[in-house]
Amino acid sequence: MEIFNNLLLGFSVALSPFNILMCLIGVLLGTLIGVLPGVGPVATIAMLLPITFNLNPIGALIMLAGIYYGAQYGGSTTAILVNLPGESSSVVTCLDGYQMARRGRAGPALATAALVSFFAGCVATLIVAMFAPPLAEVALKFGPAEYFSLMVLGLVAAVVLAHGSLVKAIAMVILGLLLGLVGTDVNSGVLRFAFGISELADGIGFVVVAMGMFGIAEIVANLEHTGQREVFTKKVTHLWPTKEDFRRMIPAALRGTFLGSALGILPGGGALLASFGAYTLEKKVSKYAHEFGKGAIEGVAAPESANNAGAQTSFIPLLTLGIPSNAVMALMIGAMMIQGIAPGPQVMNDRPQLFWGMIASMWVGNLMLVILNLPLIGMWIKLLTVPYRLLYPSILLFMGIGVFSLSNNPFDVLIMAFFGLLGYICVKLECEPAPMILGFILGPLMEENLRRAMLLSRGDPLVFFQKPISAAFLIVAIILLAIIAAPNIRRKREEAFAAEEAR
Amino acid sequence: MSWRRLALAALCAAALAPAGPSAAQGWPARPVRIVAPYAAGGPIDVSARLLAGRLQESLGQPVLVENRPGAGGNLGVDFVAKSVPDGHTLVIGAVATHAINPTLTGVPYDPVRDFRHVALMVQVPNVLVVNLELPVTSVAELVALARARPGKLDFASGSTGSTGHLAGELFKQMTGTFMVHIPYKGAAPAVLDLLAGRVHLMFDNLASALPNIRAGKVRALAVTTKRRSSFLPELPTLDESGLTGFDMTTWWGVMAPAKTPQPVVDRLAAEIRAALEAPEVRERLRAMGSEPPAIRTPEEFTAFVAAEGRIYAELVRRSGAKPD
Repeated sequence: MEIFNNLLLGFSVALSPFNILMCLIGVLLGTLIGVLPGVGPVATIAMLLPITFNLNPIGALIMLAGIYYGAQYGGSTTAILVNLPGESSSVVTCLDGYQMARRGRAGPALATAALVSFFAGCVATLIVAMFAPPLAEVALKFGPAEYFSLMVLGLVAAVVLAHGSLVKAIAMVILGLLLGLVGTDVNSGVLRFAFGISELADGIGFVVVAMGMFGIAEIVANLEHTGQREVFTKKVTHLWPTKEDFRRMIPAALRGTFLGSALGILPGGGALLASFGAYTLEKKVSKYAHEFGKGAIEGVAAPESANNAGAQTSFIPLLTLGIPSNAVMALMIGAMMIQGIAPGPQVMNDRPQLFWGMIASMWVGNLMLVILNLPLIGMWIKLLTVPYRLLYPSILLFMGIGVFSLSNNPFDVLIMAFFGLLGYICVKLECEPAPMILGFILGPLMEENLRRAMLLSRGDPLVFFQKPISAAFLIVAIILLAIIAAPNIRRKREEAFAAEEAR
Repeated sequence: MSWRRLALAALCAAALAPAGPSAAQGWPARPVRIVAPYAAGGPIDVSARLLAGRLQESLGQPVLVENRPGAGGNLGVDFVAKSVPDGHTLVIGAVATHAINPTLTGVPYDPVRDFRHVALMVQVPNVLVVNLELPVTSVAELVALARARPGKLDFASGSTGSTGHLAGELFKQMTGTFMVHIPYKGAAPAVLDLLAGRVHLMFDNLASALPNIRAGKVRALAVTTKRRSSFLPELPTLDESGLTGFDMTTWWGVMAPAKTPQPVVDRLAAEIRAALEAPEVRERLRAMGSEPPAIRTPEEFTAFVAAEGRIYAELVRRSGAKPD
């Protein structure tokens, strides 16, 4: 069995004392920056790059990878405790994670996030080890037409994300799409909706929007409860998930892991869809669908497992094709080049120690994260007992610092404040920000791929149905749309919600 | 060297100004920051950090890299153009910010007059690579194919107005062929579509093309520089393949605001040259596909920037890359 020899080689590299230390430093740093709102792995890895010049390549890459998935763990902590998504992947975790916290179940929510992430990490590591080369071929099968159709499906599914009014959900998706249009047009280079502000030439940053819509809006909305803030902590009964919780999280974690692993392979934005997709899928298949948005444990387990699985499998296009799937992966390529390693198809053959060592270290790092994070839960919960008048100003301060550090530009902080205001208005109007965020992420990708596919087909729209993968996505999207739009089903849906409200 | 004396004299005159004299002895008095006008982790950022580490030792002051991305690099460059010209704020200016963008998007600074061009750091050729299934093995065969199938071939690039795009446009002009430009957001997704055969060819940056060329996943036809590259010595240039005069590189280097005192510029240029010649730095820059540039003095660099500006202005206008 070659695979076991390879994994054995990998673990012999990953378990050397120096590499274990590098991995530990990486995941510790990653957890820390993940918890700090706004400070992301991109800025951190960039700052650490010069230090890695003098390390051996394997140790350096193990540490940088540790920061990346450590940040994913840390990011879910702030999402659950204070409704602040630091990464696009934790936006969905906010939906039910924060609701769980509000019901005094912050402990089980955090434990669920840690446990399912570990589970997903283990499975995805195995997938990477066993199937990396053939899966890289899958990534090659996805061209502009396929990506466009996948995004269409994602967008239709976005409507399902909302648990309130259908019309409002669609309106929010469209608002997100419109905001995503701001910036330079990829094809012609024309500036759109920038109002002559050159800071808007590259579009509005995701972190800025998410911080404002979720974080600031939440803080402002909480100011209305003068004096007495919702103190979740008094109701905390236990930190550990119950037997019932485990029974419910396991199938959700399995589905999330599967979906996340599959989407993570696609470098053109697949990983972005992982947590959204898993949440939507879970909401459709779970018999606890009515609890979603009100603190359903599946609503934490599914997206958390999906995003961690996706984070792992997105190393497949990086290590086998040299194609980065996000900004962090692009940084890893920078780090590899500095070390004189050209990321690409030969890495696996020319440097098996590096390739398998990194894969094994991912598993080691995930184990460390669980061991680190489970005892920390008690400490995080204590954070919630910090008085309102101290906690929220400090969160605001950290958000300001984090957002400023994105491109060292105060303009971003102003934009965040603007979205805070918009977010508060949305809270008042009972419009949910999650569908908007998804529209905002998917809109530009969709447009880009649509126009590229049309350029390649010389303007023939049939191309989306001639390619089998693309056609399949579109058909599923149409079916989903029919289900949502069918009037009788919609009436039922409204009745269901009315019944819920009554309860 | 008389004009240098003149500059010194001018500097003494400037001593009367409230800013005070900032001769090289007093510099650097504080930490020096190098603004990288692009996102962290890209080749420009990485090379800036590489340089900063060396300069820190030779200048005896911390040298910090600050990323100020936005508007294709114009934001960070404009910020430095308007900074205090005392040698404590520098910028990495590149072919995009100082040669292409002035015509392509318009910029709020003058790429030649608003800067002292201290040292050219990196010059990387582009490589003409084609998908393996395209039945051509030389530039001549590609030209013949493009002539036989006008408008059927697609060439990818990392963005509209990038050197990869403009190299393609120049290629079309010089050969009288027509191919469709497919712009991407960054080179990586473009390479993916090239590997998969959805686009036929690309004028890719040497560093990003090299692994796929060596693994035999794409076929290289020529480099865009006038001289052959030491990385692929067998590969002909476009110039020798019939496109006489074809010479394009992606380059970047350290620049300072225009009124930075001459002694500071001289010292900085000398220290950067020393840093770039250190074997360790050289080796790492080589990993990015760069060979030591022939341009070695600030004066030569200024002349180079001005010349590049003229070349690209013409090219951008004639290619129709400029948005209307």
